[in-house]
Amino acid sequence: MSLSTAFNVISSAFAANAAQTAVVSNNIANANTPGYSREIANVVTNSYGGADVASVTREANAALLEQAASSTSQAATQQAISDGLSTLARTVDDSSSASSTSGADQNGASPSAMLANLQSALTTYEVSPDSSLAAHAAVSAASDLASSLNSASATVTQVREQADQNMASSVTTINSLLSRFTAANNAVVTGLQTGANVSSAEDTRDSIVTQLAQQIGVSTTTAANGSQSIYTDSGVTLFQDTPRTVSFTATPTLLDGASGAPVTVDGVPVTGPNSPMPIQSGALAGYAALRDTLAPQYQAQLDQIAGGLINGFAESDQSATPTLTSLPGLFTTSGATSLPSMSATTGLAAAIEVNPNVDPSQGGNPNLLRDGGISAPGNPAYTYNTTGSASYTGRIQQLIGQIGATKSFDPSAGLGSSSNLAGYANASVSWLQGENQHASDSSSYQNALATQATSALSNATGVNLDAEMTNMLNLENSYASSAKLLTTVTSMFSALLAAA
Amino acid sequence: MTTMGANSISSQFLANSLVAPVLQAQSSLTTAMTEESTGQYADLGLQLGDQSGYELSLKEQVGLLQTLTTGNSAVSTSLSTAQTALQSISSTAQTTLNDLATWMPGASSDSQLQTTGQSALQSFIGSANTTAGDQYVLGGINSGVPPIADYYSTPTSAAKTAVDQAFQTAFGISPSDPAAASISASAMQSFLSGPFAALFQGASWSSDWSSASSTNTTAEIAPDQTVTTSTNANQPGFQDLAQAYTMLSEFGGSQLSDATQQALVTAASSLVSQGLHSMTTIQAELGSTQSAVTSANNSMSSQLTVLQEQVGNLDDVNPDATAAQINSLTDQIQMAYELTSRLQQLNLAQYLPVA
Repeated sequence: MSLSTAFNVISSAFAANAAQTAVVSNNIANANTPGYSREIANVVTNSYGGADVASVTREANAALLEQAASSTSQAATQQAISDGLSTLARTVDDSSSASSTSGADQNGASPSAMLANLQSALTTYEVSPDSSLAAHAAVSAASDLASSLNSASATVTQVREQADQNMASSVTTINSLLSRFTAANNAVVTGLQTGANVSSAEDTRDSIVTQLAQQIGVSTTTAANGSQSIYTDSGVTLFQDTPRTVSFTATPTLLDGASGAPVTVDGVPVTGPNSPMPIQSGALAGYAALRDTLAPQYQAQLDQIAGGLINGFAESDQSATPTLTSLPGLFTTSGATSLPSMSATTGLAAAIEVNPNVDPSQGGNPNLLRDGGISAPGNPAYTYNTTGSASYTGRIQQLIGQIGATKSFDPSAGLGSSSNLAGYANASVSWLQGENQHASDSSSYQNALATQATSALSNATGVNLDAEMTNMLNLENSYASSAKLLTTVTSMFSALLAAA
Repeated sequence: MTTMGANSISSQFLANSLVAPVLQAQSSLTTAMTEESTGQYADLGLQLGDQSGYELSLKEQVGLLQTLTTGNSAVSTSLSTAQTALQSISSTAQTTLNDLATWMPGASSDSQLQTTGQSALQSFIGSANTTAGDQYVLGGINSGVPPIADYYSTPTSAAKTAVDQAFQTAFGISPSDPAAASISASAMQSFLSGPFAALFQGASWSSDWSSASSTNTTAEIAPDQTVTTSTNANQPGFQDLAQAYTMLSEFGGSQLSDATQQALVTAASSLVSQGLHSMTTIQAELGSTQSAVTSANNSMSSQLTVLQEQVGNLDDVNPDATAAQINSLTDQIQMAYELTSRLQQLNLAQYLPVA
């Protein structure tokens, strides 16, 4: 080995040192960049015994990334459902802090509590049927019940419309993420062909996948040329060389019974009952479940309660030989001329009202509650109190009985087909709070999982400053040694030349 | 070049690792403090889940029992008012009966029977029209109008007109006519038990005397326990008393012969005794309703205690546990703050000599 070879080795040492210092600096600079993957300089021995940085690789972990993305998706789904359900659950809240303007007690303002208030008011009225004060109180309790159903129904509509808007903005986000992904993916593919450093483009790609997972459940595969494809968790292609179009038409008004449009990916519906490949996770799946399944089911239960009330409080022909059909009594809907069928109650919770004929605030006569004839004042056929007695309680007792009487309900609302009104209203509260509790628990659980997976990913691929500092000290020492070596070789050359 | 092993920690994660736990502890602390101050779970729905409906039904049952208990006090008031009215009717009847027993034909003053009858009838009508609040307690369900019409009203009441006509029809004279002295005891007896008695029964009673409904009021005094909470002036006892008092006040004048007067007294005494007996029966019936109300109140009060305890079991937090939780959360948050500041010091750069 000649002294000039030693010079070459020293020079390659300086080059390798500089390259490694660049990597360490890059790592330290990005120590706090979320999603940054640590870079590693791979040093190899070159042909004449020196050291070269052959390549810089990125500390990636595809399995952990996939796991983090998947748990993020699940957490986002449950979070979306939980947010919507807790808004709905406010309609049945009976925590002590909840109070209603109508002076209802601690049981909150749920239809169930309002029904119990009506029962109490009727019971008081039964003891003093000649008291117009008690009659007023009973009618206003009925009116509170009707408005509690109206406002619960309005909340359902609001939750569904909000979910529809959220779906629209989620779709916008997905499309913009996909177009950004196209740029990053192209950079990776071209970079790999030209041998450029693609770490930063790969980081961008991973971070976009994680953000996509928030909105929609995804899985990825990587082709031999480095190009990544993205599929929904149900298997529909979102990205393969080019982004697929995710489209959705928002429905601004979603009244009871109206259904919103599905989200389609590349023409395939991925939400809604007609989807062949429905997505399972991501915020989009949560919003869709809320809009298409959970909120409509609660709405159906409210409608059943409203239908049960209108039918239960109906007035029948009291003639010796009844010929007329029963008509809506205390509870009705505007302009109703017949009783609704329990299998077609859509829209009733929003429309139910106290019959103006009995409502003193609308010029009605509250005593009709005791006497009958709310449906058709003046028509003797619907009058129960035929003698006009002030303490007639027969009709009031019938009405109280109706609250506890077993009735048929439409089983498609999910609460069985036979119950009494009070029991049905309570079952509806149980159903809603049960779903709410389940969604909230799942949301906490999935969030914890997502946090864990993200930490694991961060620990596996992130930067540890102390480790980088240690590397830097090593580089500093090797630089000093190389410099010393250079001085020594130079002085050897000088000695050689002086001797010559 | 140092590579990183399984126990590698990213600096970013280390620096932020305490943020999430602190946020969580803070939110738990808010919840625990709300629970400490209200004594209940902060979000009952979230806590109870599908038990919410059950909890609500317990609360509603509590509300219903409370309403029934309040309603029962109104029922009790009207029952005891009715009892007082019946008591007063009974004591008038008893006094009348005593007066009739001591009456001797010819020995007593001429108008004694008439006076006795009139004052008894007035007292009877007054008592029968007793009200509790706006409610005529002896009117059955027709509680809005006085059950017994005023016999002595101006213009002449329908009842009095009918009585006068019946006498005129039977004997062709008015009771005050001196010729009435010729009416025989047996003629009087058959008049009293025939056309006169008919005036106090059936359609005549309903049209001339009583506005009461024969249907009594009923009320639910406990869940699924409905009782009759009043009586009405159409009971036979009321008719008997009204009949007895009317015959005395109308025909008890001195025009009649002693024998006929005696027949009148005998008929009246018999009717008053019957009426008195009937009143006692009605009082006993109302009394048993009163005791049913009292026992319903007692049983509802013990049910209320049980129900409220059950609601408490579902809704209430254990105050000791909550206080302990607040302490440990506060400690946890303080420790996290301390650790965060120390972690910032744990940086190799702090310990390297400045070159």
